Amino acid sequence: MSIAAVGVAAPEWRVPVASIDAAWGRSPGRGTLAVCRSDEDPLTLAWAAADRAVAAAGVAPSGIDGMWWGCTRPPFAEGPSWSTLAATLHLAPEADGALLSGSTHAGLDALLAAADAVAAGRVDTALVVTSDALLPATGTGHETSAGAGAAALLLRRDGGPARLVHTAHRWEPRLDRYRGDREPETRETYDGRLFREQAYLPMLGAVGDALLVDATDAGRWSLPDPDGRLARALAKRLRAGTTSAQDVAAADRTRLGDLGSAATLVGAAAALGSPGPLHLLGVGGGRATGCTVIVDAPVPGAERVTADLSGGEEVAYTRVLRSRGVLRPTGESVEMAVPPGSAMFGRGAGEMLGLLAARCVDCGTMNTPPDVHPTCISCGSTKFDVVPLGRTGTVQTFVVNRTMPSPFEAPLPLVVVDLDDGGRIQLQGGDDGAELSIGAPVDLVLRRYAVERGVPVYGWKVLTRRPVAGTDEEVTS
Amino acid sequence: MSWNRVAVVGAGLIHMGELFDQSYEQMARGAFDAAVDSVDHGFDPTAIDAVFVATQRGTLWGQEGIGGNTIPSAIGLAGVACTRVENACPTGSDAFRVGCMAVASGVHDVVLVIGVEKMRDKSSDEGLLARAAAGHPVYTRGESAPVLFAPFATRHMHEFGTTREMLASVAVKNHHNGVLDPYAHFRNEVTIEQVLAAPPVCSPLHLLDCCPQTDGAAAIIITAPERAADFTDRPVFVAGFGVATDHPYLHEKSTYVGLPATVEASRRAYEMAGISPADVDVAEVHDCFTITEILDIEDLGFVEKGRGGVASLEGETVLDGRIPVNPSGGLLAKGHPIGATGIAQLTECWWQLRGQADERQVAIRNGFALQHNVGGRGSGVSVVNILTTNAS
Repeated sequence: MSIAAVGVAAPEWRVPVASIDAAWGRSPGRGTLAVCRSDEDPLTLAWAAADRAVAAAGVAPSGIDGMWWGCTRPPFAEGPSWSTLAATLHLAPEADGALLSGSTHAGLDALLAAADAVAAGRVDTALVVTSDALLPATGTGHETSAGAGAAALLLRRDGGPARLVHTAHRWEPRLDRYRGDREPETRETYDGRLFREQAYLPMLGAVGDALLVDATDAGRWSLPDPDGRLARALAKRLRAGTTSAQDVAAADRTRLGDLGSAATLVGAAAALGSPGPLHLLGVGGGRATGCTVIVDAPVPGAERVTADLSGGEEVAYTRVLRSRGVLRPTGESVEMAVPPGSAMFGRGAGEMLGLLAARCVDCGTMNTPPDVHPTCISCGSTKFDVVPLGRTGTVQTFVVNRTMPSPFEAPLPLVVVDLDDGGRIQLQGGDDGAELSIGAPVDLVLRRYAVERGVPVYGWKVLTRRPVAGTDEEVTS
Repeated sequence: MSWNRVAVVGAGLIHMGELFDQSYEQMARGAFDAAVDSVDHGFDPTAIDAVFVATQRGTLWGQEGIGGNTIPSAIGLAGVACTRVENACPTGSDAFRVGCMAVASGVHDVVLVIGVEKMRDKSSDEGLLARAAAGHPVYTRGESAPVLFAPFATRHMHEFGTTREMLASVAVKNHHNGVLDPYAHFRNEVTIEQVLAAPPVCSPLHLLDCCPQTDGAAAIIITAPERAADFTDRPVFVAGFGVATDHPYLHEKSTYVGLPATVEASRRAYEMAGISPADVDVAEVHDCFTITEILDIEDLGFVEKGRGGVASLEGETVLDGRIPVNPSGGLLAKGHPIGATGIAQLTECWWQLRGQADERQVAIRNGFALQHNVGGRGSGVSVVNILTTNAS
């Protein structure tokens, strides 16, 4: 089993920990946390990381026949989380896979389940996706550590630049962070010292020792660092003297925060760019798992990891509370005209999630969306090929709407985009729209358009393209 | 085209505004009485043998099942033939066109066209702004009313150098005209500086670039020319009309500096009337937003494409300008009670052609007044009606 490509994603927004502490009258903590806009969630982050991994591998999405997704907060506690993500990625219709959840251990669950399926020959090309956007209770200490991010790997049976060689497991029924049924927010560990001494250090220590039994090189480590101190303590414990602190990649903990089930792979992503052994540790729900990856050559996609995680529009705590739905206007919200459970959503789901157009067989015009266009708007033909629209283009015209009823959040840009490979589409902007201008290059990204009657509704939004800052030096630092 | 002519013998409206103390039915009764009272020789309402009701948003007053039978009872004509017509923002003007066809066909003798809209029984958030959640769950989500027109302003500014000052000049003119119109919702002057400094609504439009949400009603009585003498010695005639459509999604527009539905609707109306834009003495056009009037006067052929902003700023459309536009104050000042809007505009045209517009009377040289609406999803439907003093 080999790793063919890697991709990562994190929200643009960064909230300074000190601003949260200030609101609650505490002494200011250090660092920032990656937080979701109200239209981002673990599914949109999963899409972004997976899309980058697929692009880095240079494979056709239809050739991906399996997806294993680890996430503590899939958008539906019960519902079509996995298939919604598959539709946005255009996976093969017969694709295998699973959604792994239940604890922050889900990231390692997804990696090993996918690796087993590839090794067993059940699938040829598997996507491993880990994503999380932790939802802490407002005002708790947990709020100053919870972050958001995602990582994805593309696995193949052999021939890739990195390979999975060894695994180790431990379990003990220990309570770490948790949330009960009907609880929207994740509770912090009952007692941080108890978690450290009874769960984190002994279980991960034992797994780490097991990985090192046959190792000649202590190598590099990626492990979750829930509070910003535990990883360092574990590093000391693991073969003290052979593993120095800078070898422990803890998912860019000081800028992104705790990434939950995504922490291990996000932390490992950049390290996949340089050869050598790499040990991945995951913990959660009373389980600890480790695996060793041998990197033989740089894994495609690793070179842009640092740049892809370097976003950073600083936002105020109040904006975070608003996007999280804690601060909300009083009064009724406007209901979507079409209920998400209706037949219209059944007809339209694939074309909305897959950004599909009806391309006229006779004149080539892209008619969007297909199900309301039985007739070509240009030539009147009724013969079409349904194809995905391209995701790059330029602005034809736009507005930024500042007067919107709840549940809309102003400012809300609406943009008409001329797509580079033909077609034109009207979509919402995915940020405040401050950088929009006619002719500006833009990209389409997956976002959550609404949570309607409890159902998340996804579609594509427009972002003004920014220069990519990544260089080799940045990536390997 | 061969068609039997139609005469307008009465028209009237109620004072537009936030009519919190009037029901939908009471507004209808008021407009009906005003139209009846306007008939020169007196009018027995039992002469009406068909009614066409224009109401666009039954949802705004909580009666989604509104149909033809809602109005006759309120105006004392229960039992009369009555049909509701709905066609987005041109609902009132299209109901008039349908009424004209009923008369021209000879099927009906005396027809009442009445437009009524209760916009303010709901708050702004629950009214037109709630439109943002209607339509396609993704591709039109967030498309509140300004989004139908503001993208055209962005593009018009980009291509032609149109400025916010030029947009503002439309609001300044129409508010000035509204001061002279006793039926207008707003009866106050505004300055360019005030329009520029108003709170932003939807870039590049600010609050005074937008029409208000207004309750209102208007009614018009039409009949065959040979019957008109029973009611008046000074009838106004229908010279022509046109309706046209365009694709409904904003991303399907062939242009973002004009509205093809308006171009085509007016072409059809001009051809039916046998006139050109230069023959029009006065126009009541759809100025839901300042940019809309600039697009309109270009699309209707009054000024060259791209010159709408400059022409407005330079005063070509004021009461004594080259082509007076919206002497009533337009939607911006008089208000936009959707189903009533077109019929209120036609009432203004009727007054202007008969020389009854008092302080806002414009010079009538050729005897033609044009009325126009455009709207709907993607601004994809437009109606143009042309009235004339010429009997043939």
